[in-house]
Amino acid sequence: MSWNPLKDSFRHNVSGPANALIDGYLAGRLDRRTFLRQGTVFGLSLSAMGILGVRADAQDGPVAVKKGGTLRVGVTTPSGPVDPMVAANQGSIAMYQPVGEYLIRAEPDLSLRPFLATEWSSNDAGTVWTFKLRDDVTFQDGQKMTSADVVATFNRLADPDGGSIALSAFRGIIGKNSASAIDDLTVQFELERPVGNFPYLASSDTYSAIILPASYSTGFEEAGFPGTGPLRMKSFSPTAGATFVRNEEYWDKANPAPLDQIDFIFFADETPALLALQGSEIDVVYQVSVQNGRAVVNNPAYKMVGTRSAASRPLHLRTDTGPWMDKRVRQALAYTVDRTGVVDGLMQGYAEIGNDSPFAPIFPVTNPDVPQRQLDLDKARALLAEAGVPDGFKTSLNVINTLEVPAYATVLQAGAAKVGIDLDIILQDGGTYYGDGQFGSSPWLDSTAGITDFGHRSIPNVYLTAQFQSDGVWNSSHLNDPEIDKEIGEFLATVEFEAQRKIATSLQEKFMDLTPTIYSAFLQFVFVTGANVGGVVPNSSGQLFLGQAGFVE
Amino acid sequence: MTLGKFLLGRLGLALLTLWLLSVLVFLASQILPGDVGSKILGPTADKGAIAALNAELGLDRPPLERYIDFATGLLRGDFGESYSQRRAVGPLLLESSLRSLKLAIVAFVIVVPLAVSAGVFAAMKQGRPIDRIITTIGLSAMVVPEFVSGIIVILILGLWLNVFPISATAPAESGLVTQIYHLILPAIPLVFVMFGYIQRVTRASTIEVLRSDYVRTATLKGLNRFTVIRRHVLRNALPSSVTVVATQVGYMFGGLVVIEILFNYKGIGLLLFRATRDKDFPLLASCVMVVGAVYLLFTLMGDLTHSLLNPRFRVGGKR
Repeated sequence: MSWNPLKDSFRHNVSGPANALIDGYLAGRLDRRTFLRQGTVFGLSLSAMGILGVRADAQDGPVAVKKGGTLRVGVTTPSGPVDPMVAANQGSIAMYQPVGEYLIRAEPDLSLRPFLATEWSSNDAGTVWTFKLRDDVTFQDGQKMTSADVVATFNRLADPDGGSIALSAFRGIIGKNSASAIDDLTVQFELERPVGNFPYLASSDTYSAIILPASYSTGFEEAGFPGTGPLRMKSFSPTAGATFVRNEEYWDKANPAPLDQIDFIFFADETPALLALQGSEIDVVYQVSVQNGRAVVNNPAYKMVGTRSAASRPLHLRTDTGPWMDKRVRQALAYTVDRTGVVDGLMQGYAEIGNDSPFAPIFPVTNPDVPQRQLDLDKARALLAEAGVPDGFKTSLNVINTLEVPAYATVLQAGAAKVGIDLDIILQDGGTYYGDGQFGSSPWLDSTAGITDFGHRSIPNVYLTAQFQSDGVWNSSHLNDPEIDKEIGEFLATVEFEAQRKIATSLQEKFMDLTPTIYSAFLQFVFVTGANVGGVVPNSSGQLFLGQAGFVE
Repeated sequence: MTLGKFLLGRLGLALLTLWLLSVLVFLASQILPGDVGSKILGPTADKGAIAALNAELGLDRPPLERYIDFATGLLRGDFGESYSQRRAVGPLLLESSLRSLKLAIVAFVIVVPLAVSAGVFAAMKQGRPIDRIITTIGLSAMVVPEFVSGIIVILILGLWLNVFPISATAPAESGLVTQIYHLILPAIPLVFVMFGYIQRVTRASTIEVLRSDYVRTATLKGLNRFTVIRRHVLRNALPSSVTVVATQVGYMFGGLVVIEILFNYKGIGLLLFRATRDKDFPLLASCVMVVGAVYLLFTLMGDLTHSLLNPRFRVGGKR
């Protein structure tokens, strides 16, 4: 790499963790892609990384779409009010997406793209994060967006008594007074503990964090769907659908919405939505399961698009009681899983293989060099023999009855049967399976073995603290390992990327050894459009950004 | 007994039935698994947020108190507020009920004339191949589940031949004709389900009437066949068909979950289904009460029509 006079001055201006990341890359310990992705987290812009001689991947330029037209999108009926504070279901979230925008947008590859914020940085400890805002953003009512609006938005979501849906991510990190305005265009967050990946929490990854006017308090629908986005709400019916039209006053004059109108049509199920797509009554199905989407996969009139994510179907095994107490028995089960079969067969390739830890391949921090656990029936039998159950045993497996999970359970059952483990599948609907989500009254948390459906998070923090810490609120395997507790604590407190990856590697190995939970695959978020539709931007959390969508030329 | 007294008695009974229904729904909704707050916010939401929501919805109050609130509201014509939707139940219910009513009417308008004429025709050709053919078709159509016949008509008429739209909901601001056009495809599976039923009952009662002395007399005195059918046979055979049709109204109005999902029609069946899934008691109970009331109303109307068509059954009439 040639000497660049800009490089040194540049490095003076970035935080300690960012410089450490640059060191790791220059020393060859980090590959280019990991550096690029993680660089955006520490606020290094692509142009800044260009100064360091790192070239970004040649991106497919935005698909050229023509101006005009009405896009018809099939989406699940909102099962609650459209309100960023409380909406937790896809239908409701999709309703505020066209009018709302985020400080940062988490891209499909988990890199962070400046949106309403232009740049961000942290102090060396990762406890104070500062965001600079664009100065040309206006809300749809013409008011200018300033730091006061951003501060109000985040403090409202982080108020521990406010009941917001973002609390599960924010609690213990930011509270109701954590955000403050430095000047009109600068916002500062003082964190309750260091978080190296905080920009993810401030990004579209926290789907409720669309920037709303400071004057907003509650009642998104009554307030007429306020926001800064490229489309504005024209009509909304909670049972039938909604219509959005182009916001002619959109602040980003260079990128107005190409479409005249977007019609959302609500569906109770994906089968009728796919039928409506084939009947040319809609152009986009917001999300499909691979199983049902198969009908359109091989038809050139449609595009099925998958986005990598950390969503998974973890199978927990109780470590404190019952037939799985011995780790060798848990390992044995893990060796009976045909992971390639799950990914290529069941998921039709719209997934990637898991390695029995929550560290999904999509996380930059995940160490890909930890050896992959493979199907090995002989090893499984040997482990069972060592554990004193050479002929296997019969036990129950609670399974949540949603999407492809029952089919997945059957695949696991067939694998386990080969070594004599007879899994008796108990299918339960979501309400029954989760119960009230408390230990003692929830099959999810109480069963000796169970398969749960987990959604995507862009950083593994919540999975680690909630699922694997001994006092975790979703610790369904009842894991109680002081070493793991300690390392999770260290992982959360570590800001420097390479140091964090080192802890991640150790955790990955420990999870594989103890096997409290079997992760055989991480799923993609899949949606389908007609071949004439372009510019739809998905992200791993299962959102579609339609601001630049349109019909291809 | 006069007609007025009969009606009052039946209405009283209907109200009692509705009250019992509301109690049953309330008890059942208490047994449904899961917690309302965590259903709405998702099981992995912050525990504090879930507790706050439950408190806001008043779910921390004793069940009896909540039931009394709901029941007294109902008496005032107030259906309360949906837990999951956080909006008044009344408008949601009205919108969905009107849609369900439209679909039911379209289906009835197709199936009743078709099944009744097929029933009478089969009865007149009793024992002949055409009778067997009609009856077999009716029986076969009846046992095919709606989701199977629904998919088949979508594939054939919606996708391959492309003659009917797949979605039952017409675009906003459509005229009546377009709305009916959109409802024909979803009505077909319902016609399948009901045709065999109505046709068989009509056929059986027609055969019975055809065997009666007065029909033989009418025929022997030289009336033409059409007049015999119109004046004597239909008038005596139809009451049974009317009763059958009336008992189907409840199902046609509130029991079409599968059809509504398949054809993406936001009727009351779908609303009921979602209310159950979300453990949304005010919405669930209101839906059940409306479906129950419609069912009782139409059964009563069926009885009345029955008696008007057949003087022998007329209340207060001379036997």
